[in-house]
Amino acid sequence: MASKPKIKELLDESACEHNKKKKVACNAPTPGAATGGCAFEGAQISLFPYADAAHLVHGPMTCLGTSWETRATGTSWPGRDLTQMGFTTDVSLNDVVFSGEEKLVKAIDYIMEHYAPEAVFVYATCVTALIGDDIDLICKQAAEKFDIPIVPVHAAGFVGSKNLGSRLGGEAALTHLVGTKEPDQSTPFDINLIGEYNVTGDMWQYSPLLDELGIRVLSTLSGDGRISDIRSAHRAKLNVIVCAKSLVSLTRKMEERYGIPSISLSFYGKRDTSKGLLAIAEALGDDDLIKRTQALVAREESQLEEDLAPYKTFFNGKKAVLNTGGNKTWSIAAALQDLGFEVVATAVKKATEDDRGKARQTLGEKGVLMMNPGVEQAKLIDETGADLLLAGGRSLYTAIKKGIAFADVNQEKKKSYGGYGGLLNLAEDLKNALQNPVFKNVARRAPWEK
Amino acid sequence: MGEVNHKKEKPLQVNPFKLSQPMGATLAFLGVDKCMPLMHGGQGCTSFTKVFFTRHFCEPIAIQTSAVTDAIAVLDGGDYSIVESVKNITKKVTPSLIGLHTTGLPETKGDDVRGVASQIAFPMVTVNTPDYEGGFESGWAKTCKALIEQLVETSEVVDDNTLVLLPHVSLQPIEVEKIKEFIEGFGFNVLAVPDLSSSLDGHLGEKQAALSSGGISVDEIRSLGEAGLVISVGDSMQGCAAALQNKSPEMRHHHFVHLNGLVATDRLVEVLLEETGLTRPPISVARWRQRLQDAMLDSHFSLGQNRFLVAAEPDHLAAICQSLHEAGGRVAIAISTVDSSQLEKIKADKVIVGDLEDAELAAAEYDVIVGNFHCEALAHRLHKGLVLRGFPNWEQVGNALKNDVLYEGGCYLLFEAANTASSRNEVKHV
Repeated sequence: MASKPKIKELLDESACEHNKKKKVACNAPTPGAATGGCAFEGAQISLFPYADAAHLVHGPMTCLGTSWETRATGTSWPGRDLTQMGFTTDVSLNDVVFSGEEKLVKAIDYIMEHYAPEAVFVYATCVTALIGDDIDLICKQAAEKFDIPIVPVHAAGFVGSKNLGSRLGGEAALTHLVGTKEPDQSTPFDINLIGEYNVTGDMWQYSPLLDELGIRVLSTLSGDGRISDIRSAHRAKLNVIVCAKSLVSLTRKMEERYGIPSISLSFYGKRDTSKGLLAIAEALGDDDLIKRTQALVAREESQLEEDLAPYKTFFNGKKAVLNTGGNKTWSIAAALQDLGFEVVATAVKKATEDDRGKARQTLGEKGVLMMNPGVEQAKLIDETGADLLLAGGRSLYTAIKKGIAFADVNQEKKKSYGGYGGLLNLAEDLKNALQNPVFKNVARRAPWEK
Repeated sequence: MGEVNHKKEKPLQVNPFKLSQPMGATLAFLGVDKCMPLMHGGQGCTSFTKVFFTRHFCEPIAIQTSAVTDAIAVLDGGDYSIVESVKNITKKVTPSLIGLHTTGLPETKGDDVRGVASQIAFPMVTVNTPDYEGGFESGWAKTCKALIEQLVETSEVVDDNTLVLLPHVSLQPIEVEKIKEFIEGFGFNVLAVPDLSSSLDGHLGEKQAALSSGGISVDEIRSLGEAGLVISVGDSMQGCAAALQNKSPEMRHHHFVHLNGLVATDRLVEVLLEETGLTRPPISVARWRQRLQDAMLDSHFSLGQNRFLVAAEPDHLAAICQSLHEAGGRVAIAISTVDSSQLEKIKADKVIVGDLEDAELAAAEYDVIVGNFHCEALAHRLHKGLVLRGFPNWEQVGNALKNDVLYEGGCYLLFEAANTASSRNEVKHV
């Protein structure tokens, strides 16, 4: 079982800023009061976007039945998009009693025969981990038989949170893929994009700009990713972590093993996108590249400002209340500010200390950081005269009652809000929300209640 | 009818539309008013299930998890995590019932949930629903049975005006409501269990969805033994009817394989007339029957020219295939998620237990697909018509109000199927 990562080590991440204090986010969930996904979901998020690999879930029906085809992670892979396919051994009582190993072996054979993927990821789940199916051995034997990577992913749901699962997904890629193949060629500006999953094509908002600058995306984990690319990821000059703290363990280990430095950034909103592009250029340390990036950023920003002008006029003086969690507490706030909104409050109940700090920085001294948004937001809408509530579906009624516009921040996005272009999509959606009469119409009292 | 294959032959599911038992159990508990479904297992099962139903119904979904972790999985027999869960749930909300249902994880290690729940001083119903057995339909049915067995009080006398409706899992909220109203038209008080018609019908309320908001009340469930009649819809629900009759031997039972199409609805009317001694149904029922007759004739041309693939849960599969068949729609392949007694009765050339890869491989045999959201990519890739039915439908809004049952809903299904089919057959100018 040598390939199994040590969970304790992963939880004790020295590259984590908050490591000196008690790790709130890493604690065990509270029975009867837990929210959020499990480790399997996290692993799925971090690895499923490889569309040229088959993702075989070794478990009963809930794990895959609820979750396949749920994430719109775009790919340009010309073959069959295996991300949008579901493969599961759908273990039965018989397998639980007599082991599911034979079924798993046959399932891998079946996939190889019918779909010929570039790799197969085999995900352990609670039940198959508990009955002790030896997926390491099965994967090793299958890899030898078919001469492609067959990667065991040890992120059964019960080992922890979604965040931990993403780390475990990263570990699996590091152990079984990274460094197993040399790239066809190298450039001085080769980077890996880590934690960019290209949901709704977010990555494609800025990857053409990288191309233009001559920065080559050598590999990604895992948006629009290719197995052969991630196998060569050890030759990159820089790891760029995109909005994913869960993968700092991976990049730290890549720095230790291959000497690849890393930077962490986000491509949401104008300021972050510009900062991100410049940070990559600076980290690559080439003066000419930096100059060209500055010029490109200036060009893109001025183009964006021009495109945004009518929206900004419309949004000017409008106030927004934001109720979400994690890095969205500040990244969406910053994007709203870029559009001309005043963000009067943001919820920080479900944010790490680091995120809370950034939220304070983004909103300034006057902004309210809501610790109990369910109660506070209605009051704040009244006090500040907010025009827009951005929150999850549960808060819809609050907006209706207050007669203000509502935008669902958790709704499955159909289009990208990333990069410069995404800001225009966001602006258009928010303008539509503010102009939509539905919230006031729905709030009408029934004739028999007058 | 045609050829029936009860057994899945592959070592895996490829593009599955099968759903798990715990998910069916969750949904059933959401048909009980002010209930908190508590899924005993890893937190992911609950999180996935919550998102799944939230997207299908466009409504917040109440559910909690016992959040079993690896250490707890090994050391605890459920005592700690279940007791803690109930403590933490009741700290914040006051449910009328906690619906404790298991997943594969605690079942693998053999937690005695019934025993643990009996030690807790809070109204609970427990049901064993490992996801390595059965499926969506059986999870719902088992939960309904558990509600009956654990809550209904025995009764010696029955009230002939009260009728219990036991709907199968694939009936959408409006369909349950339509069946209730139909039967009420004959003078009965109807209680459905579970009852999604008032909980997940998509109504705007002052809710935070901390608990299910609507459905049959726990008190109503307790008193179900007083009903004179029980009607089960779908073969999966027969066991529930038997459980109810155990509580109340005087209760009469009528079983319906489904309530879709002309023939099945005619039989329901016959039964209701016989039970009430009435000679004619309400005027609106007669009117809807005429409309369905007309709809069958209007749609038969298009339906008759096209071959269908239907992929659904067994009870739902039988229902849709029958509706299409009555108006001349030929079901070339019916794919069921799991084995069932329904399979032999299904009106199709070929009936199999399978997945959507099976559907893909048989592409040459059909023109229109009837199935869930996962059929969309398939229909797109193979250029087939698509009628979206079943769980989940993440592509469209309004799922809770889609009605295919009885005379009225039969019209809507036939029109949609016929229109979908004929839009594929338009003459293309070359």
